Amino acid sequence: MTAPLTPTAPSAVRPQGGRPLARLVRRPPAVAGALWLAFIVIASLTAPLWLPYPTEQQDFSAVLAGPSPAHWLGTDELGRDLLSRIFAAGGGTLAASTIGAVVAMLVAVPLALIAASGGERVEGVINRVTEVMLAIPAFIIMLAVIGVVGTNMPIIMAIFGFLISSGMYRVFVGAAKSLQAQLYVDAASVDGIRPVGISLKHVLPGMLNTVMVQFALVFAVAIMLQAGLAFIGFGPPIPQPSWGGMIQAASQHVYDAPWMMVPTGIVLALTVLSANVVADALAATTDVPQLQIALREPKRRMRAGASTADTQAAAGEGLRVRALAVGSEAVTLVSDVSLDVRPGRVLGLVGESGCGKTLTALSLIGLLPPGIRPQAGEVLWNGHDLTRLSEREFMRIRGREIALISQEPMRALDPMFTVGYQLGGAIRRLQKVGRAAARAEAAALLGKVGIVDAPTVLRLYPHEISGGMAQRVAIALALAGRPRLLVADEPTTALDVTVQAEILDLLRSIIADTGMSMVLVTHDFGVVADICDDVVVMYAGEVVESGSVHSVLEGPQHPYAMALLAADPHAGVEAESQRLASIPGQVPQPKDWPDGCRFADRCRFSTEACRRPIALTPRRSAEGEVRCIRSAELTAAGVTWAAAPAGVEPERVRIEPERVGAAEAAQAPTRRAEPEEARL
Amino acid sequence: MAVFVLKRALLAVLTIFAVSVIAFLLVHSMKGDPGTVIAGLGATKGEIAAINDKVGWNDPLIVQYADWALHAIQGDFGLSLIDGRDIMGDLADRLPVTASLATGGTLLSAVLGIVLGVTAVVRGGIADKIVSGYAGLAAALPNFWIGIILVFVFAVVVPVFPATGYVPFDQSPELWFISLALPVLTLAIGGSGFIARQARASMYDALAQEHIRTLRATATPRWRILYIHALRFASLPIIASIALQFIALFGGSVVIEQLYSMPGIGVDLQAAVARYDAPVVLGVVVIATIVVVVVNLILEMATRFLDPKLRAS
Repeated sequence: MTAPLTPTAPSAVRPQGGRPLARLVRRPPAVAGALWLAFIVIASLTAPLWLPYPTEQQDFSAVLAGPSPAHWLGTDELGRDLLSRIFAAGGGTLAASTIGAVVAMLVAVPLALIAASGGERVEGVINRVTEVMLAIPAFIIMLAVIGVVGTNMPIIMAIFGFLISSGMYRVFVGAAKSLQAQLYVDAASVDGIRPVGISLKHVLPGMLNTVMVQFALVFAVAIMLQAGLAFIGFGPPIPQPSWGGMIQAASQHVYDAPWMMVPTGIVLALTVLSANVVADALAATTDVPQLQIALREPKRRMRAGASTADTQAAAGEGLRVRALAVGSEAVTLVSDVSLDVRPGRVLGLVGESGCGKTLTALSLIGLLPPGIRPQAGEVLWNGHDLTRLSEREFMRIRGREIALISQEPMRALDPMFTVGYQLGGAIRRLQKVGRAAARAEAAALLGKVGIVDAPTVLRLYPHEISGGMAQRVAIALALAGRPRLLVADEPTTALDVTVQAEILDLLRSIIADTGMSMVLVTHDFGVVADICDDVVVMYAGEVVESGSVHSVLEGPQHPYAMALLAADPHAGVEAESQRLASIPGQVPQPKDWPDGCRFADRCRFSTEACRRPIALTPRRSAEGEVRCIRSAELTAAGVTWAAAPAGVEPERVRIEPERVGAAEAAQAPTRRAEPEEARL
Repeated sequence: MAVFVLKRALLAVLTIFAVSVIAFLLVHSMKGDPGTVIAGLGATKGEIAAINDKVGWNDPLIVQYADWALHAIQGDFGLSLIDGRDIMGDLADRLPVTASLATGGTLLSAVLGIVLGVTAVVRGGIADKIVSGYAGLAAALPNFWIGIILVFVFAVVVPVFPATGYVPFDQSPELWFISLALPVLTLAIGGSGFIARQARASMYDALAQEHIRTLRATATPRWRILYIHALRFASLPIIASIALQFIALFGGSVVIEQLYSMPGIGVDLQAAVARYDAPVVLGVVVIATIVVVVVNLILEMATRFLDPKLRAS
């Protein structure tokens, strides 16, 4: 057997949405596989009823014959009908394989459940034992077993199931442990349900799909194994037919009757293949990993055509984004984003998760995930439209002019290489210097980002340094090419609070020292207040408000910006109430975006007029823009997004149209609409 | 690291011991007792009993095992019941055959599998489909069937390789190589499918890692991202699959030895089982287990050394 007796684990445990049957039906190869399995099972079980010849009937007029009307699949060396023998052999093979798979499951599943619920010691012991079993040559042990039990296939397959169960256990224990760690399983145990009850009621059902996948895989391996054993003479006693035995007989006639091995081989291969594709389909997941690099190098530019803006380079230094839209072929994910970052300035990009902040940031450095690209608008960097650059042209910008700092420093660094290798490599590439110079520069850079013992850190691997230090290393990497613009995607979110402040200080001093500019993605208004000069608030893929940090934080004019500020415990603004506000509902998915205001469904101030498309307009008595038709009247009325008691959805506030313009008057109904308890 | 190596070595010794005990009990439960096997058909009950007494067959099992183990540790596995040859000496001749097959098959599987799996990911599209199809077929076709086809093509239709037989390396390295060509290729077709599948999945996983984006952000050339950084990340699971492959090939080469008439330990075991030659069965099982456990141990050390996270601890 070439295939290891341990079927490999499917890479992901979580199954694709939908019932197993539905998943099978969606995949044509799996449908074909399931149909073939059904056919072979039914045909083998009913074989005695329809076989054209008795399996032992010899036809000496047609020895070693090819296909003919009398013998559809030909005959063997004794003139026996191959078709009859193949299907006569099927029943026993399939039944014994089923026994093997059932035994493997019966051993492995309980072991996995016990290991997952029994604590570390129990799991440790079971792990050791299965490791030992995995390291022994199973096929050789099987042969020794045959010496004892003879060629009794059901018993041999049961022993095979036992031997292979350690491999199954390895697959199941992961699934069982992740299910056991689920909150609802925890809750059940707090509720006093016995561990066995939890395993059977909550963990086992979740493993069902994985079990079915492994069942199919073991079933396939068992068929192969039986064929292999029969091939070397340990099949059912002669003259009883078996697939392996028939191929063995055929191998003796490969010189004079090569056809003979074809039918049996194909039936065997189709059966194994079918079980495998059914297993594949069951194991298929929707969480296909999002690749970070396009598999095929995009030869085309991201967008066709030359930029119209290159001629308008007079537009000036820095970054200018105009009406940028980003999306895949199916859906637009970011639309109508405009922003400006002049040299030396820091722009904050704020919004809830899923608002398109990160996509906007990544489009500035041309690192959108594969399949997502700029659809419209311009990203002007020193007058050149970056959305029209080819991948090769962008390589000259990345690192050297625009650099990226990621959210999770630990994951942003390559775990397989030392800090020195990664940083030194980047410096050699970006500054075109030699190895020694890069080494010195790397140490200097680490010093610059506040790492004291640079020579030591250069020798360390990412897992050997703390999150804060990793982020410093990542910042050093970003600085390696002396860029003019830093794109920082939530650079402090994954860090401890004390470290956050240090990293922000570091970024601030780098900006001050180098005069570069920065686009900082964050959901934290405290960070914005701390470090940014300007702010752009995004909601559901579009800009809803922009302006200087001071004017937006002190006087937000878009209800969403008001709500975000009211909901942010760190925002350095005077709180209207002591209770934190909440925003009902969730950010809509891109496919659910309405034509009108995308915030309308969650907005306390929305009216029918908000259902029409809304453009950015200048903010009332301040620079910047806002995307709200009611912002002027709301601002004039001085309303706020104050807190409501938990669980009570704030009533929609209705400002009577006739009172618009009369700020004092408008304020009254606003206040009245709020429950008194809201302001403690 | 030293503690870890020691622990693993101890576990390996325990594994070998456990397998030897199990195998000992197994061969003792085999149908034929030594008297029947040696004396052959037509022997009287008295003759059979006399032989059994002489080899100590009726002693307590623990005494028999201790006796066997004491000799085995000194490299003496006893004599074959059938033809009286020295088992250890015989295995010393046979082990290189099986080892050549399994090592050659694993190496070729690894090279082909990694190239195919990486190509599937990097090229994508049609190449990916072809590799997936190849891996699926390779997993579904029994290796002896593939072997017969190869014999038909390369020994019958275009006779470039011998259909059967084995030439020892010290007799003629060139003929040794030629005699191994078809069996190794046979083993490598199935094996490369298995490793290609693993390599493909691991490369996909590697290219979905966030640090790939950092590499791109610092203008790392594409080939460097794919073949240095991603492949290095993917190397650990790939090596683990290569270790599994070796275990499978070493045990599973019985079939291929039979097909190509190679005097390896597999066919020896097969014949011994068929003839109830208990000491030979025991010897082969233990030797094969030792080889597999040791190779497994070495590859586990290698994986550990290659993983920066595990190297230090």
